[in-house]
Amino acid sequence: MGAGVLIASQLNSWRVNFDLPWLTFGRLRPLHTNAAIFAFVGNMMFAGIYYSTQRLCRCRLASPLLTKIHFFGWQFIIVCAAITLPLGYSRGKEYAELIWPINILVAVIWLVFAANFFWTLAKRNEKSLYVALWFYIATIVTVTMLYVVNHLSLPTSLTHSYPIFGGVQDALVQWWYGHNAVAFFLTTPILGIMYYFVPKAANRPVYSYRLSVIHFWSLVFIYIWAGPHHLLNTALPGWLQTLGMLFSLMLWAPSWGGMLNGLLTLRGAWDKLRTDPVIKFFAAGVTFYGMATFEGPLMSIKSVNALSHYSDWTIGHVHGGTLGWNGFMAAGMFYWLTPRLWNTKLYSQSMANMHFWLGMVGILLYVAAMWVSGITQGLMLNATAEQGTILAYPNFLDTLQAIRPMMWCRVVGGTFYLIGFIMMAFNLWKTARSGSPVNGSIEVESAMEEMVGDTNRFRSYANAPVVYCFLIIASATLMIFGHGASFLAGVFLTATFTIAAFAHFEMSGAKWGQWYDELLKHGLTFTVLTIIAAAIGGAVQIIPTVTMQRADNIEGRLQIPYTPLELTGRDIYVSEGCYNCHSQMIRTMTPDILRYGDYSRLGESIYDHPFQWGSKRTGPDLAREGGKRSDEWHFYHLLNPRDISPGSNMPNYTWLFTKDAKTGTLESKINAMRMLGVPYDIGLSEEEIMAEYNSQAAEIVQRLAEKGAYTEPQKQIVAVIAYLQKLGAFEDKDAPNENTTPLPFEPVTSTQP
Amino acid sequence: MSDPSHNTEQEMLPDGVVLKEHSYDGIQEYDQQLPRWWLLTLYGAIVFSAAYWLVSHYYMSSLTNEQRVEKEMQAINAIRLTNSIDVSNDELFWEMRHNPAFVLAGEKTFQSFCIPCHGANLEGGIGFNLVDSEWVHGAAPPAIYNTIFNGVPEKGMQAWGDMLGQKRITEVVAYILSKNNESAMRKSAASGE
Repeated sequence: MGAGVLIASQLNSWRVNFDLPWLTFGRLRPLHTNAAIFAFVGNMMFAGIYYSTQRLCRCRLASPLLTKIHFFGWQFIIVCAAITLPLGYSRGKEYAELIWPINILVAVIWLVFAANFFWTLAKRNEKSLYVALWFYIATIVTVTMLYVVNHLSLPTSLTHSYPIFGGVQDALVQWWYGHNAVAFFLTTPILGIMYYFVPKAANRPVYSYRLSVIHFWSLVFIYIWAGPHHLLNTALPGWLQTLGMLFSLMLWAPSWGGMLNGLLTLRGAWDKLRTDPVIKFFAAGVTFYGMATFEGPLMSIKSVNALSHYSDWTIGHVHGGTLGWNGFMAAGMFYWLTPRLWNTKLYSQSMANMHFWLGMVGILLYVAAMWVSGITQGLMLNATAEQGTILAYPNFLDTLQAIRPMMWCRVVGGTFYLIGFIMMAFNLWKTARSGSPVNGSIEVESAMEEMVGDTNRFRSYANAPVVYCFLIIASATLMIFGHGASFLAGVFLTATFTIAAFAHFEMSGAKWGQWYDELLKHGLTFTVLTIIAAAIGGAVQIIPTVTMQRADNIEGRLQIPYTPLELTGRDIYVSEGCYNCHSQMIRTMTPDILRYGDYSRLGESIYDHPFQWGSKRTGPDLAREGGKRSDEWHFYHLLNPRDISPGSNMPNYTWLFTKDAKTGTLESKINAMRMLGVPYDIGLSEEEIMAEYNSQAAEIVQRLAEKGAYTEPQKQIVAVIAYLQKLGAFEDKDAPNENTTPLPFEPVTSTQP
Repeated sequence: MSDPSHNTEQEMLPDGVVLKEHSYDGIQEYDQQLPRWWLLTLYGAIVFSAAYWLVSHYYMSSLTNEQRVEKEMQAINAIRLTNSIDVSNDELFWEMRHNPAFVLAGEKTFQSFCIPCHGANLEGGIGFNLVDSEWVHGAAPPAIYNTIFNGVPEKGMQAWGDMLGQKRITEVVAYILSKNNESAMRKSAASGE
């Protein structure tokens, strides 16, 4: 969190980057996001899961050894991340920046955790699974699936690899992962924790079991589909954008189901809100969850997204979720857990109350500042003048200056929140010191005997609700992909099965309830059904995209592959984390086109491993940067952006001018690219590659020297300039071979109905 | 810790609400009807989504994102054409050069975009000096206009046409002219041909 406050200051004052490579925004922002997700929420969730699972299963953790490996392994991963990310080792995909050896370590440790959890589940002394455990199961299986698919890559050296997906495929897979990291790493485990700790702290029964059932299954099924809402109005195929938007809207009610169950469980315990800091944190945390999950669907509406995307609004949204929901639930859990683990009283109630109010004011300042900032900048960037023919604020920097006060507000808010957490750490440390660790072994009687004999796995699959769900989803898929007759059949069958399921349920509602109670006794069956529910959305979206959207099938514009020098420059661009502030995607919106040039086509980034479409425009879009400005413009701009763009908040990249570009692994990089489908010649030798590299570098150095800007061909700056000047280069496969430059606006041929 | 079921036994449960018997580590669950507004939101969103999908993809000849934005750009170009200024007319530019409205507006635009390369006093830097009576890309006002509008990519001059639009660029030309000697420029424009 300290990293967060630091990078927030960097956005305001470029000096805070200290001209040090390992302290620049582009490198620290990945560290901030990875630490918040995997270190902070990760460790908090492991603690909550281990504590509650043992009690809900009425047995000790299966293996103390696995628990130890898990703990120390995970902390080792965090240390590795804290070292490699500032050094610029990055895969260039958001929340998936860690390099491949660490990826493997994460996967192994995660599987250790999974083994430990399911083993504990298997030897439980409790017949059926409590709702908290459902959410833990969903978390473990889905995160495994997401993490593995999004981290598939082809290593080129011990510290570098290329993702196997490129361009639009990579974009879809990345946001399928990115969005569901939010869903299954930051939401479902915390919901599970809520279902254990809130009723415990409030000493009240859970509001509604039925609601738990419905909102669990709808959440797990629907969440996975919503990823493309991060790619609205981009070159992503339209049907995926529509699916992303619609499933986000459908997600609103299931999310609020969780909020209702949390808040209404507190009903009858509201008097404790005044006295008990734990209840305060839980109530506020669940409320922030409700707020963030209302905001999410709203921002997924295409026209709202046109304003909010790439702006600070998104940043405010995620911080509402992370600080408000995750952070406050964590604080509530810690304040509840620590006195019980050390068999003592909380050191200071008033300090905990102080923490609550500091944190609350901090979040509100932060989120409100980001709303104002995001909406202001979004409106300014999209504003046009003179009947919509020109931009009202053509200078990007004008929109940046407008939000500076808000960016200071965010620093203040974030600092408040950080101080609150430091107070908590002190408070908890004092609490722990005042007591002694509890040995929590208790005798339990096994409730499992009566279960033996009624296990019939087949019956728990082939049951009316499951069969109906399967039929409805299958026919809805037919509706999505079908044309003509098969589409009509899809519509008809979906409607029929839905009505049939409702009718059947109305006639035999009690029996369905019984069936579900039975299901809860079969951990394995439950897990398998959860995997299926969570996998469908990704499969429907990703499989067609990966098989169809390939370079061979692209019509129209196709990217020209990078030369060795440009590829080297691109790897530097990725490693410096430029994508954290610069997008490479001109959306299908007139303000974007007026500002950055013709909208981006799907084929124009098809060879990009990883894709660099970006998610935030702290600086302008770079999709068509190539050839727009001179080499020496980039030269001086990277040396000190404020010489060229007064008021810019971009860091100085002075080390690009002193460090040599790494070319040792260029041959294996190009080979890896060719294996991934980029059309490089087969069997290029290292000499040939380096000859091409050197001749292009020499040309750039000479052009620069003519203008009085001196550098050497092997320096990083030369490669970066080469890359920037290549951005947006394409060949048009459809265009007749005439000697024409592409018009900015192509004639529309078939738009008339 | 007190047993939670102890509390709840004392209160009267409303109709249709059942307290499930089973207790997990002391946690019990009610089983009760879901709030009507919540169900309406859930079903409403599902029905809306299905309808939206059908309508947008099959029953209306709705445009794709690309077709829509191209149409919008054509409309914008149509307005631009209607309001276009005759930028091949030398005299028009000289008239603007003497009109403070144009010169002042041009100065503002120039300060916002041009000084990083051409200097605050037009003395040059990364870009050419604009007050040294040397006009590499032509001294005639329409030539200057063209240089700004279309850029000279191989020399590093950016094309500003889309970003600034015709009117703002004519203003900038007026401003540049105002910083130069009129008769000298007319002369070099004539000899440059």
